[in-house]
Amino acid sequence: MEEIEKTFSKEQAAIEAERCLYCYDAPCETACPAHVPIAEFIQSIRTDNLKGAREIIQEAHPFIETCGRICPEESFCQSVCTRIKMDTPIKIRELHRYITDNTDPSENLELVPATKGKIAIVGGGPAGLACVRELRRFGYKPVVFEKKQLGGVPANEISATRLPEEIEKKEARFLQHNFVSEIKDIAIKSLGELNEEYSAIFISTGLSGELNLDIPGNNLDGVYYSRELLKRAKSGFRLPHFKRIGVIGGGNVAVEVASVLKIEDPLRDVEVIYRRGTKELKAFKKEIEEAIDLGVTFQFLAIPKKIKGDKRVEGLVVTRAHLGEKDTSGRRYPVPIPNSDFIIPLDAVVIAIGQKADVYFPKVEKNAKGLVKVSDDLMTNVKGVFAGGDIVRGASTVVECVADGKKAAQNIAKYLEGGKNV
Amino acid sequence: MYKKIDLSMEFLGIRLENPFILSAAPPTDEFDIAYNGLKAGWGGVILKTTSVEGNSVPLKYPMMSSFGSMSRKVIGLGNIDLISGYHIDEIEKRVKILKEVFPEKMIGASIMGAKKEDWQTLVGRLKKAGVDLIECSFSCPQGSMGEEAGRMLAQSIEATEKVARWVKEAAEDTPVLIKITPQVTDIVEVAKAVKKGGADGITASNTIPSLLGIDINTFEPYPSLFGKGAYSGLSGPAIKPITLRTIAEIAKNVDITISGNGGAFNWRDVVEFMSVGASNVQFCTLPMHYGFRTIKDLKRGFAHYLSDMGFNSPLDVVGKALPNIKSQDELPSPKTRAELVEEKCVGCGLCYSACSDGGHMAIDWDSEKRLPHFDEEKCVGCAMCMQVCPVDAIKMNEKIENSNNVHYFVEKR
Repeated sequence: MEEIEKTFSKEQAAIEAERCLYCYDAPCETACPAHVPIAEFIQSIRTDNLKGAREIIQEAHPFIETCGRICPEESFCQSVCTRIKMDTPIKIRELHRYITDNTDPSENLELVPATKGKIAIVGGGPAGLACVRELRRFGYKPVVFEKKQLGGVPANEISATRLPEEIEKKEARFLQHNFVSEIKDIAIKSLGELNEEYSAIFISTGLSGELNLDIPGNNLDGVYYSRELLKRAKSGFRLPHFKRIGVIGGGNVAVEVASVLKIEDPLRDVEVIYRRGTKELKAFKKEIEEAIDLGVTFQFLAIPKKIKGDKRVEGLVVTRAHLGEKDTSGRRYPVPIPNSDFIIPLDAVVIAIGQKADVYFPKVEKNAKGLVKVSDDLMTNVKGVFAGGDIVRGASTVVECVADGKKAAQNIAKYLEGGKNV
Repeated sequence: MYKKIDLSMEFLGIRLENPFILSAAPPTDEFDIAYNGLKAGWGGVILKTTSVEGNSVPLKYPMMSSFGSMSRKVIGLGNIDLISGYHIDEIEKRVKILKEVFPEKMIGASIMGAKKEDWQTLVGRLKKAGVDLIECSFSCPQGSMGEEAGRMLAQSIEATEKVARWVKEAAEDTPVLIKITPQVTDIVEVAKAVKKGGADGITASNTIPSLLGIDINTFEPYPSLFGKGAYSGLSGPAIKPITLRTIAEIAKNVDITISGNGGAFNWRDVVEFMSVGASNVQFCTLPMHYGFRTIKDLKRGFAHYLSDMGFNSPLDVVGKALPNIKSQDELPSPKTRAELVEEKCVGCGLCYSACSDGGHMAIDWDSEKRLPHFDEEKCVGCAMCMQVCPVDAIKMNEKIENSNNVHYFVEKR
């Protein structure tokens, strides 16, 4: 599948970089979870010093190819750009991507010898690999436990229209080749499986489970779960040839599934069915706009009640809702309107209402949702065992997971070196 | 229809319908192009410098190179041009036709010669052809012809006076402008020599000798002709400040008519050129970059300016800024301090960076509020913070010691 967004031309990048004010103590850098020195790399674009610009980002961020494509800039750096007070924010992520698309990661790479102990990294997604890179730079030997291919959600689930496979593979290969000491093709589910070889452990298993929609008919043929569908799409399988598909949910995954289905077959009807209103959508604005451009439609204030059908899906019975008070999430809650049920005729339903943590590591303390509890330095209740990324935060962004991985690595080194800052 | 504002004026006895002249340069080197320029509304034209038939003019291409940011590549334009490849026989014909088609426009011609006979022959033939004005190039950065080939004529005070006299002798009542170079030790002495020689006016000034750039991979100079390059004549907005100074210096010290040339790119620049003493303004890089259609904005912008300022003629602007230009030691000594216009500030912190690393460390930075705070004790009023502020949120508060006279120095661009 072809990428939706195109990279900046040299001229576009130069004009955009020229707009940057090069703020002192730049707010965009503070807003970036990975604290990428944004003003500095933009200055390097101005002087056409792209290798220097890559060094600046790469120093702060191991997943630079991926984040240049999928980082939700409207939530982070761009949302606080000083330029907003004058006209429009600098397109920071696009400039970031312009650098990665025009430079090679392997240049200027210099590694210190790995002379220190082995650290177990459980889970090879963005948090795990960010931790790997930092630890390796401190001279440790990171050993990654991963059953699937390295790269986590970006590698396995994010659609190729947003993150082409060759980009994400290039990135994971680069990190693996230069920073990972060893990969073990084992799924670790308890601390006891790790022998005493390891000086410390970092748990970054992410969220492997998917929330179920508990309504009648959820076992019919034609009912799919979003992540499974995205994984299939990513690995090249054709999706079922349904002509009318409803996607239940209002988050990024729901919108992404809808876009993927529409791109695969532009003639099919794809509707996102969401129980709240437009303002409550959790998906990023840009992705919603892209979905609408592709022809995805939205059904708001519609609470799924039953999936209709004999053996196969025939439709979705929904109840019309109105918005009530705000709930704990700060968003207005949908209140069903009595006797307002209606049927949306569909051949397939995709459930995309969220992910959950699978409960592993019995000795590690977790909250009610099964997420691992950590202190400020990302250490769990078990000494020497750290955790970060989605398994701690719940569903989050790549850049936040990267920030956790970096922070964990710094704290692991500090812990192992008797409180010394590395 | 809209009110018409009269931009016409007298210049050395010639009636100009507006003060915007196409200078002796590529835009006036082809008959059709010069014709189109006049038709588009330019007030006059000075045909590209011509010479006697015996002179060879070995033009080399590519001729141009520029510098500037990616989005505006021509901040400075360099050329390795020479005078026109068309000799006086061709120019005579063009002058006759242009004068016939455009009797209301100023038709001028530029000349360059090696010896007295050349200069005077050129003048005589042009005069006969009906030219309104003769300009003499004493300043082509690629060098003059004659005994000191390669050197600009206007770099010698004696030669300037001598050749100006030859030309004026032959021109008699036809006005003569001498086009000088700013590349001299004392521009006033040169201007005095022009006057002493009897010429009617000065064209101040010309392009400036420069080296446009070097390819950092091959070390070829720009423009590169099979890897080799030469010094260029620099024009365009980059040289405007130098031209302004040249015009002002002459206007303050020598009583002679000036035609401004070098770096004017819009009607605002025209006002600046005229306010320091130019009576009209010549253009080359602007039409070369954006075409003759630029005349529309020049005329409208200038006309509205005159009307808004209550001026009746373009000549009312001439010299207006001169009384305010002093030597550094003659300037008053106000106590100047930077002042923040808080509601305009966007919190970029550039003033803080500039002051802490390049000023007097007189600004504190509130990182919570993203606001600068100015320390009046430490601030010396250098105005660097004002220069870097992208939204003009800093002005300089000027007070004269023991006086209530407060003035705000705000640059309007």
